[in-house]
Amino acid sequence: MSENYVAPGQQRYLRACMVCSIVMTYARFRDEGCPNCEDFLHLQGSPDQIDSCTSQVFEGIITIANPQKSWVAKWQRLDGYVKGVYATKVSGQLPDDVRTTLEDDGIQYIPRDGSATEAD
Amino acid sequence: MASNSWQFAGDGDESDDDNFNPAPADMSDDENNDKDEEHNHNHRPAGKTVRQASSPVPDEEEEEEEEHDEEEDARPAKRSRRDHHDDEDEEQDEEENEEIDEEEEEEEEEEEDEEDEDDVHGGNRRKRRNKDRRAAFFDIEAEVDDEDEGEDEVGDGEEIEDFIDNAHPDDIADSGRLNDDRRHRELDRRREMEASLDAEKQAEILRERYGKRAPARGYGDMAIVPRRLLLPSVEDPSIWAVRCKEGKEREVIFSIMRRIEERMGTKNEVPITAAFERGGVNSVMKGYIYVEAQRQNDILVALDGILNVYPRSNMHLVEIKDMPDLLRVIKTPNLEPGAWVRLKKPAKHAGDLAQVIDVTENGLEARVRFIPRLDYGVRDDPVFQADGKRKRPGVPGPRPPQRLFSEAEARKRHPRYLQGNPQTNSWNYNGDDFENGFQVKDIKIQQLEVKNVNPSLEEVTKFASGAEDGTENLDLKALAATLKDSAKSVAYVPGDIIEVYEGEQQGVIGKATNVQGDIVTLQVTEGDLAGRTIDVPNKGLRKRFRIGDHVKVIGGSRFRDEVGMVVKIVDDRVTLLTDQTNTEITVFSKDLREASDIGGQGSLGQYSLLDLVQLDATTVGCIVKVDRESVVVLDQNGDTKQVQPSQITNKLPKRKFAVAADRNGSEIRLDDVVREYGGQQRQGKIIHIHRSYIFLHTTTTNENAGVFVTRANSVTTVAAKGGRNTATAGPDLSAMNPALKRNPAANGKQMAAPRTFGPDRAINQTVVIRRGGHKGLLGIVKDTTDTHARVELHSKGKIITIPKADLSFKDKITGKTIDINQRGGSRGGFGGGGGGRGGGEFGSRTPMASGGSDRTPAWGSSRSTARTPAWNRDAGGSRTPAWNDGSRTVNAYDGSRTPYGGATAYGGIGSRTPAWHSGSRTPAPDGFGHGSKTPAWSAGSDSWGSKTPGYGASAPTPGASGDAWGYTPGASGGGNSSSAYDAPTPGGGLSAPTPGPYSAPTPAAVSAPTPGAWQGGWGSGDAVSAPTPGALGAPTPAAYYSAPTPAAYGGVAETPGGPGYADDD
Repeated sequence: MSENYVAPGQQRYLRACMVCSIVMTYARFRDEGCPNCEDFLHLQGSPDQIDSCTSQVFEGIITIANPQKSWVAKWQRLDGYVKGVYATKVSGQLPDDVRTTLEDDGIQYIPRDGSATEAD
Repeated sequence: MASNSWQFAGDGDESDDDNFNPAPADMSDDENNDKDEEHNHNHRPAGKTVRQASSPVPDEEEEEEEEHDEEEDARPAKRSRRDHHDDEDEEQDEEENEEIDEEEEEEEEEEEDEEDEDDVHGGNRRKRRNKDRRAAFFDIEAEVDDEDEGEDEVGDGEEIEDFIDNAHPDDIADSGRLNDDRRHRELDRRREMEASLDAEKQAEILRERYGKRAPARGYGDMAIVPRRLLLPSVEDPSIWAVRCKEGKEREVIFSIMRRIEERMGTKNEVPITAAFERGGVNSVMKGYIYVEAQRQNDILVALDGILNVYPRSNMHLVEIKDMPDLLRVIKTPNLEPGAWVRLKKPAKHAGDLAQVIDVTENGLEARVRFIPRLDYGVRDDPVFQADGKRKRPGVPGPRPPQRLFSEAEARKRHPRYLQGNPQTNSWNYNGDDFENGFQVKDIKIQQLEVKNVNPSLEEVTKFASGAEDGTENLDLKALAATLKDSAKSVAYVPGDIIEVYEGEQQGVIGKATNVQGDIVTLQVTEGDLAGRTIDVPNKGLRKRFRIGDHVKVIGGSRFRDEVGMVVKIVDDRVTLLTDQTNTEITVFSKDLREASDIGGQGSLGQYSLLDLVQLDATTVGCIVKVDRESVVVLDQNGDTKQVQPSQITNKLPKRKFAVAADRNGSEIRLDDVVREYGGQQRQGKIIHIHRSYIFLHTTTTNENAGVFVTRANSVTTVAAKGGRNTATAGPDLSAMNPALKRNPAANGKQMAAPRTFGPDRAINQTVVIRRGGHKGLLGIVKDTTDTHARVELHSKGKIITIPKADLSFKDKITGKTIDINQRGGSRGGFGGGGGGRGGGEFGSRTPMASGGSDRTPAWGSSRSTARTPAWNRDAGGSRTPAWNDGSRTVNAYDGSRTPYGGATAYGGIGSRTPAWHSGSRTPAPDGFGHGSKTPAWSAGSDSWGSKTPGYGASAPTPGASGDAWGYTPGASGGGNSSSAYDAPTPGGGLSAPTPGPYSAPTPAAVSAPTPGAWQGGWGSGDAVSAPTPGALGAPTPAAYYSAPTPAAYGGVAETPGGPGYADDD
């Protein structure tokens, strides 16, 4: 039922997607992929890809119950995403090749590690 | 597929051939059939592989075609198709070609079906072989490809031969064959082209195929809206800050998530839109979660019953303008190689400093090096080892100290676990990597402490000194960067001159007037803003110094408490010349402070400057410099070394009464000023005396804080503390003479008497007390010590303790005074002997006592004691030669000489006098024997002078004795004697602590027989007396010898005059 709930004991396995900042356990990334970015990240079943595109280092957990209505979601640019648990900050950098793929696909990549805020 | 083939057949083109595979293509076109065919055969497979590798499109297209079938059952369909092919065996080559391709592809994709289809394939192959003649190339080639590898090779050769043989006589039209060849290549080429051209289409297909699961939500049409357009408005839900338990923020958020999902679709859906936390150990926002909802009540509903969150106690609405700040993200600076971090994770290394070597691309893992903590298995528990069990890492023993990796040690215990390369000095030991002694490890950045590292210079230098060439390649820049983001901000105090080096106010220089938290108020002193007061955050500030400023190092630097003058400033690094050591050190300006005092601190723990410390069993040293974590010690050998406090065994307390003797034998004590004899003639004050070494402190040099070490016997006294008269008094011989020390009772009173053994003769003697309150009372000695006797008084019936010196022994029967120490036959002679002197009981000193034999006990003792250090010491002086001459040895043992010969030698000390010779020829006993004939004695006997001088000796006034001696021809001798009196201490003469007094009269007494001789003797004696005439007399055998003075009594006793004494008494 509550698939996004992670028991405290499991929280050390949490990882955050570097693209959409969703926070899930490693197992979920492996089994289901990223619910928002799977199109281009292909995390499902690919531990290497999970390692390089998700990060264990993140802070500021956000529960988004209603991505459409929430200002937090809008501000964090999560309004197009599924509801779930996100992070305000995800450390780490997307590998260059993934980045190029994103650019080629016309997807605007928003760094989640805080480097984007300075640009605004 | 079919259409492709036809097209290909149609547009066979020479130029295309060239493009496709230039080299073989030329050949194929221009050369004869054989070659052509051979070439054809050779290159085709290559072409095919190219196609196979680069033609996913056709595959996929085909797959698509078949996709529908796949769902149900692909096999029947294919089989039917194959059947169909079989039927059309006679069809054109092109078609067959295509068919084969198709078949191959099917095989590739459906390998699992292969076994089922084997019979079908088998049939196909057979048929194809049959039509070799007609379609030589394709079938063979296809077959080869289909065949297993082993078969392949064999078949290959055969077929090639077949090929050539068959081709030559073959009547197939040349053009036809060329065409076939071209078509094949054309096909390959086209497919390749398709593969490259159709990337987009391919992508489309891929997307269609894989994209079904997750609709690409938002990304396609999502344009990045600038954040300023996203700012919250009144339309947006509000955010409330809700108090929660610190550290539980994350859990709370997940609990909310769970509740949201659980109630989704029910009638009481959680009415909030979002919730978030910004917790963290160092966060200012910890202890709160933030909930976004339309109404406050929604939050109460949503959070009701969730653990660790307290919506009812504390809830603040966050103002709209503050909302973006809640979600502000500050980028953590990326770790750069060279940066310093602390390890959190391997528990053994927790807190250790590490240096980043490399960072992974995504910045989540870093390769760091640090100093390993290895015990090389020393502490391995063998039991656990045997079990193959590993100790639980959670139970850390004492962790080994940080030490660079040692290959040798590792090899010693675990040669099997060690692999590596000595050239690069990189090793793998027990699964860990070591390079140049450092352990190198990939560590996730969450296991690294990146902020507030605050590496101390000590730690950092350990890394720096690891450079192979020994040079210190300390990257101050990285260090500075690390230090800068430490949260511990620089402490500014009002009065500091501060420069703003960053931010809007950059360049402003001012004096801090107030410091409040992170805000420093500056009174601007320079520039346009001069006179203004501004507030600046202390982030972009640094202290400003000028060259020449006198500064003190504070804070975390190794050089803490050094004081010096600024000589160079580069950015925030300041170089200063220290006051104490005159060395240049470089520190950060934040660690500096305007200094008013000079010098460093003087102590490190319990050790402070100039302390004497024990370094090991044989080494002591004086602390000459105190650093922050070590001290510099000047050891007894004059070497300085830097030691850690832990290397110091203990501190030696200052012994106030430590005494040594300088080269003259003078007593030297602490605080005496002495000068080196010879050498550099350094002069200094004694601060420590350790055995024969003395540590001196001088103000004339700065080296080793003015401390130097030398041997006690190589210095001369310049000034003794408190004006002790060391120079004139000469050595305190009584202190040096072990013989005296052995008999402390006599010490300081008179020369030690030869020890008598056995029970004290005084016990049970009848005595008369001569002094004090009990004077005149009679008693019996019950018990004695060295100095005192317990006397049972006859009169009072009680026992009192009286100094022995105050007793005079009486014969029980006769009541006469006796000398209880008389021995043997001589005793009789003493029947009425005068024991008047307190010391008289040690009458052995009397020449008489010894006079029994031809040598006095004094002589005897002198002979033995002649070898005492005191004598040796003196022997070191001008007197030495005589003694060393072996007069002692030769003469002493030379039977031809009397002990006086020794005395002769003694006389020799001061240019031996003939008189002495004569005297020696007439031994004193003889002299005494004739004593009565000597003027002196006669004088003495006349006027009791003999007694007088004796008493004179004990009397404080030398003059008296002088008078007494005045009679004698030894008057001159008397003069001598007076000088002799002078010598040690006149008073001493009295109290007879020094032999001097005895000696004083002695010469006279002795000289009596040969006055002139004596004069000469003493004249020389005087000459000699320069150093210590008295001393001369005193301890020397002469003194002893001269002891006859008291012995004068003895002498008298012995002499016929003795009875006279007795009479007098």
